[in-house]
Amino acid sequence: MKSKVLMIALLVGNVFCVLEISGCKKSAGAVNPDVAFGAYDTEADWNDSTKLVNLGYQESQGKRVFYEYCVWCHADATPAGPSNRSNVSPMPPLMNDGAKLNGESDEYIQNIVTLGGSALGKSAMMPPYGKTLSPDEISAVIAFTRAIAQPAYQKPGRPGSQYTGKQ
Amino acid sequence: MPAEGKGKRSDKLRLTFALSTVVCVLVLAISPMKDFRAEWKLYKRSFVKYAQGRPDTKKLLADYSPSIDQVWLRGMNVTDRCTTCHQGITQPTLADASVPQPFRAHPPVPHNVRQWGCSICHRGQGPATEVAEAHETTLAWEQPILPAHFLQASCGSCHQADLKETPLLTRGRELLTRLNCQGCHKLNNLDQATLGPDLSGVGYKVTREWIYKWLKEPRTVLDKDGNVTVNGYENETTSRMPKLRLKEDEIRALSGFLSVQKARLPEKYKINPAVVAAWSKRPDLIAQGEVRFRQMMCTTCHSLAVTRAGETKMIGGDIGPELTKVGSKVNEEWLVAWLWNPKSYLEHSNMPRYSWSDEDLYKVSQYVLNKLTDSDLLTNVPQLGAATEDEIKTGKRLFVEKGCASCHALNGIAPQRDFGPDLTALGAKYASELEFSKAKIEHNLVSYIQAKLQDPVSVNPAARMPQYNWEQSDLDAVTAALLSQTGPAATSALQHLVVPKKYAPFQPVGAFAQIYERYKCYACHRFDGYGGTLAPDLSYEGSRAQKKWIADFLKNPQTIRPTLILRMPQFNMSDRDAGIVAEYLSMAVQKADVDPESVDARQFTQAMVSLGRQLYDVKYQCQSCHTIGASGGYVGPNLNNAGNWLTPAWIEAWLQNPQALQPDTIEPRRNFTEEEIRALTAYLMTLRTGIKAQTTASRVRAHVSGQGVGR
Repeated sequence: MKSKVLMIALLVGNVFCVLEISGCKKSAGAVNPDVAFGAYDTEADWNDSTKLVNLGYQESQGKRVFYEYCVWCHADATPAGPSNRSNVSPMPPLMNDGAKLNGESDEYIQNIVTLGGSALGKSAMMPPYGKTLSPDEISAVIAFTRAIAQPAYQKPGRPGSQYTGKQ
Repeated sequence: MPAEGKGKRSDKLRLTFALSTVVCVLVLAISPMKDFRAEWKLYKRSFVKYAQGRPDTKKLLADYSPSIDQVWLRGMNVTDRCTTCHQGITQPTLADASVPQPFRAHPPVPHNVRQWGCSICHRGQGPATEVAEAHETTLAWEQPILPAHFLQASCGSCHQADLKETPLLTRGRELLTRLNCQGCHKLNNLDQATLGPDLSGVGYKVTREWIYKWLKEPRTVLDKDGNVTVNGYENETTSRMPKLRLKEDEIRALSGFLSVQKARLPEKYKINPAVVAAWSKRPDLIAQGEVRFRQMMCTTCHSLAVTRAGETKMIGGDIGPELTKVGSKVNEEWLVAWLWNPKSYLEHSNMPRYSWSDEDLYKVSQYVLNKLTDSDLLTNVPQLGAATEDEIKTGKRLFVEKGCASCHALNGIAPQRDFGPDLTALGAKYASELEFSKAKIEHNLVSYIQAKLQDPVSVNPAARMPQYNWEQSDLDAVTAALLSQTGPAATSALQHLVVPKKYAPFQPVGAFAQIYERYKCYACHRFDGYGGTLAPDLSYEGSRAQKKWIADFLKNPQTIRPTLILRMPQFNMSDRDAGIVAEYLSMAVQKADVDPESVDARQFTQAMVSLGRQLYDVKYQCQSCHTIGASGGYVGPNLNNAGNWLTPAWIEAWLQNPQALQPDTIEPRRNFTEEEIRALTAYLMTLRTGIKAQTTASRVRAHVSGQGVGR
């Protein structure tokens, strides 16, 4: 009688052991990407203000720099109202002009912003910003440009990339 | 007992024993198996697999270890094991969005993530080794990951000074200050709050009926398309007066109490009766008043709802209150006294004291009283009559109970502090510490803050907090600023990293100080970091502008930047006052290392000038941003009058390094040689064409908050 009780106790103990060790196992979790990695900031699509483009950290910093330094000549509307774009000739490209900018490499744009247009045989109207903006800020502006590009930008090597390999 | 039965029983016992042994062994085997399949180990292994499928395997696995990785910051009590799964965060080659999480590289941020860990910015549970535990609210850990949109809040927990990288947080802090949240709540690290008007003399200014209406509907409603339904008095988005959710009898009592507040008597001013007699008969009185109102640039600070082509828009600045219907609000005697000397009614008002002629004062006050009105304003307001003793008593009680004294000073009532809860650690609260009532929102801190801001009653039926009206972007900004209030900074052990805010009120002396106070220069201009941001920073004006130019400008202000609309009011300053200002700015308000006397314009030669012109036109093409003659860009200031305006020493220092003189200027710093700088300065000093005086600004655009659109 005593051993029977012992037996049952042992069995119950075992079952608990099994439950304890393997029972509360959760399946490999997934994080809600909208919460953790969602948009740091957004920018309204320049051609369709009802559409919002999600921006990551770097692109958001680019947006800030763009609206401080570049917007005056590279957009048709500025925080102060009229744009300087039409006063400059040749007319500077709009910053979302994918047809024009998608084909240029990041390095090329980084160079032209850093050194100015005349250093790369382009218009001297584009001044050099290498001593005013940090390389990180300039890369951020490029990231922002890529994010708002119309047609959408595709990286070199990806299908549909418009990259022409020009340096 | 028979032997047979005994044998049977012992067989059974053996069998059971064997079974339980097998189970025991199985259980023991499960344990290592389970350990092998731990979430973090799965991620470890799949990273190896992922790296092996890429060309840069060797580099990616250079410091791979199969154990738990952690960042341990003793001083800050941080143990972050996030890098156990997020193994690629410092691998630049994994930056692309096509790299699956959790292996993607962290975007470049000012802090080294290996040095600072993750949870200081992202929150969540650092030591956790399971996905849910690390990122979400669990039974054992209530601090979930902060949504990416509000990440700037974490910057603000340590960085007390505003950072240019965190515009949302800066805007949020600005709003907390502007709306005087500190009137009721304790908050860390904000600028001095701006108070609502002193009500000690409000009985002189407005009628009881107007107060009734104001308490009921303090706002003008501006819909999404910018159309205005003018049924209140302040622009919705810039309104500082919230709705207090008062009952009818409470509004009656409060309006009664306020209508008898006549403790602060404004200095009365009587316009010369001869002027009144002459002008009151003229049919063009109101039209003349309007012209003067515009010439005086009232809309630089005040906004008006203007209807053009069937569309109503708010036009003007937001430094002073909206004036669309002010003629139906204030009485004539008060208005004249106020315009004459604002300080006598409101000590801390930003309204300058103009040098009025009696004629102008009469014209403008008549225009305001007759044109900026609305006959329907008080239609739905009952006739209230004089306040009864009872109403005054109840009103006084309500004034304190509703927390009015947190924002408004009133003679005989002590200012209220800490009327609302302490919010200095709100950002570190757990969801279980918050009251959600019956609100159908997610139970987390962000949703709570947003629900409470939008409708305080929704999360707490007994809330005393009044109702504000938010645009989504402002709501998010204030949320971020509140989330940054996490009590003492995690980096408090590293005090030197925390940049304290600087308060350095600019305190001029002598005759200039009186003029500075009288015209409230600081309402728009900034001096050594103190003052408004609407107009150019004048901290170094004495080094920048020539003395004569300053005096002329004050007498007849005009814009220098072509895209800007003139906002500087014409104060009718006397020659003496203009001279004092010019003298003081040139002598005392200077950049230490730019001495206006150091460069002598007389030494410039014709050769320098022509070289400078060539550099300007061809090599550097400055005309892309600056205008000379009639052509050029709109971005920088018009240079037609540079020779009369700027000092040569300033031009040279500016060309050398613009950011050293004005850190936020967008003028790029270039590689000019000394010779080029001299030549450009020589050329600019030859430009001496006065800009055509702009006598009327027909309209002033709403405040534009853009960097570099100063002058």
